[in-house]
Amino acid sequence: MLEPIIQNNVVCHALEAMIFASIACSILGVIISRMNLSSIGFTMSHAAFAGAAVGMFLGGNPQMAAIAFSMAVAALIGPVSDKAKMAADATLAVLFAMSMAIAIFLISYMEYMGHGLSASSLLFGDVISLYREEIYALAAVCILTIIFIMVFYKEITALMFNMKIAEAAGIRVKLVYYVLLFIIALSVALSLNIVGGLLIFVLLVTPASIAGQFCFNVKSMFVAAPLAALLVSAFGVWAGFEFTLPVAPLVALLLTGVFALSVVISFKRRINTKIH
Amino acid sequence: MSVINLEGIYTAYEGGEKAVIRDLSLHVDRGEYVVIGGPNSAGKTTLLESINGLIKITHGRATVCGLDVSFQADEVRKRVGYVIQNFYFDPFTPFTVEQVVMMGRYGRLGLMKRPTKDDYHAVKKAIHLVGIEDLARKTIGTCSGGQQQKAMIAHNIAKEPEVMMLDEPFSNLDFSAREYLQGVFKELVRTGVPILMVAHAFDGLPDIPIHLVVMNRGKIAHDLNCTAGEVECIIRKECGALDKC
Repeated sequence: MLEPIIQNNVVCHALEAMIFASIACSILGVIISRMNLSSIGFTMSHAAFAGAAVGMFLGGNPQMAAIAFSMAVAALIGPVSDKAKMAADATLAVLFAMSMAIAIFLISYMEYMGHGLSASSLLFGDVISLYREEIYALAAVCILTIIFIMVFYKEITALMFNMKIAEAAGIRVKLVYYVLLFIIALSVALSLNIVGGLLIFVLLVTPASIAGQFCFNVKSMFVAAPLAALLVSAFGVWAGFEFTLPVAPLVALLLTGVFALSVVISFKRRINTKIH
Repeated sequence: MSVINLEGIYTAYEGGEKAVIRDLSLHVDRGEYVVIGGPNSAGKTTLLESINGLIKITHGRATVCGLDVSFQADEVRKRVGYVIQNFYFDPFTPFTVEQVVMMGRYGRLGLMKRPTKDDYHAVKKAIHLVGIEDLARKTIGTCSGGQQQKAMIAHNIAKEPEVMMLDEPFSNLDFSAREYLQGVFKELVRTGVPILMVAHAFDGLPDIPIHLVVMNRGKIAHDLNCTAGEVECIIRKECGALDKC
């Protein structure tokens, strides 16, 4: 998509992937942070990790297996929380442990059986070896996320405000919540190859946290978070290739740096000391 | 036909040793002002949440506005206003009072539909009615407890409910605010909307006939009609006889 501007195919693909992943994840991050579902990032990333391990173990496509497994875990979060009467965060922790156990079990077993399995690309991502199809899939998820937010904007904001009040208002809370979990699962699973399971958290939480330092309303957060993620990711890709640095960790560090700076300069927390 | 019909309902929480609401029957007509009193843990909040389907009814039959609560809870909640008992919005909640009041209409609007001129008009009217015009553009988390409570009352009035349920709606409000809002509720009752109010303080009740329901241990101990002035006295007497309020 950016080939006419960027001649180098590797840089072009990396930039496109980072742009799509950062936009999708940061938009979802605004919802996740407000609903205290931050742990969904590492639960989903490890579910995708476990799914990829299952895919490799069965000799199938690890990416597809990662998506399928994440979707299955996403489908479990809501009903398990409801049935077990637990906070979604506690359910996420249980599912995270289960996913990690499956992944470690299969990786260890394959090593024991003499079938090598490199988990590093899943854990740390590999932005320079992406296929065109993966970028198209990321673009599709990015568009799907934007459409989802636009179509269900009023329901999502009501959920972000207070789930019980939203339910009492007659909003179909469970339906919107479950669709939201599915889209998060899909975004995380597809972004896994770019930033890896360990750094996906940065794309989900940090841009929303940066936006939260400056924005007073949710609409501006939905604009500011992807904008911050987009600018930092694009700069990170450029700097990574220019100075031969690992792109994903660099983007993560840059985003963290911007967050630290935003905490320092945020006008939201200033106290008015004027007497008159 | 009554707006609310409860016929021998039971409600239980998962894992609870026994039903919280037991064999409870209640009928509420249009334009009734129902005050629900009783000792702590009598099941007052559970009763309200059973009526709008937030808590499952395990036995018996409940209909609200002609809809069966067990099978049409989503539809019931669109028609019933419910000011919940406890809420806290942190200072960084990114919603203004006006946006929160608008959320009251979202259920009625239905999925994927945008607010229309009528919705904005209803929101403006509710904000005016509750007297919080000066707070409309303020983020709700920066409002005081009383202001947040008023915003939640406006949120439910904007919904234009067919039934209004209030769970201790005045706990954070001063006397003048209580009296003012009681006037608002009196007006709602005059238009035919029945009000069910759970309360522990009964000062400032409107001077209209009151349908008093005294609950204890998940059952209705007394269901009678009285005047506003008699409510506190009856509740004190009944609570004294039943248990300590």
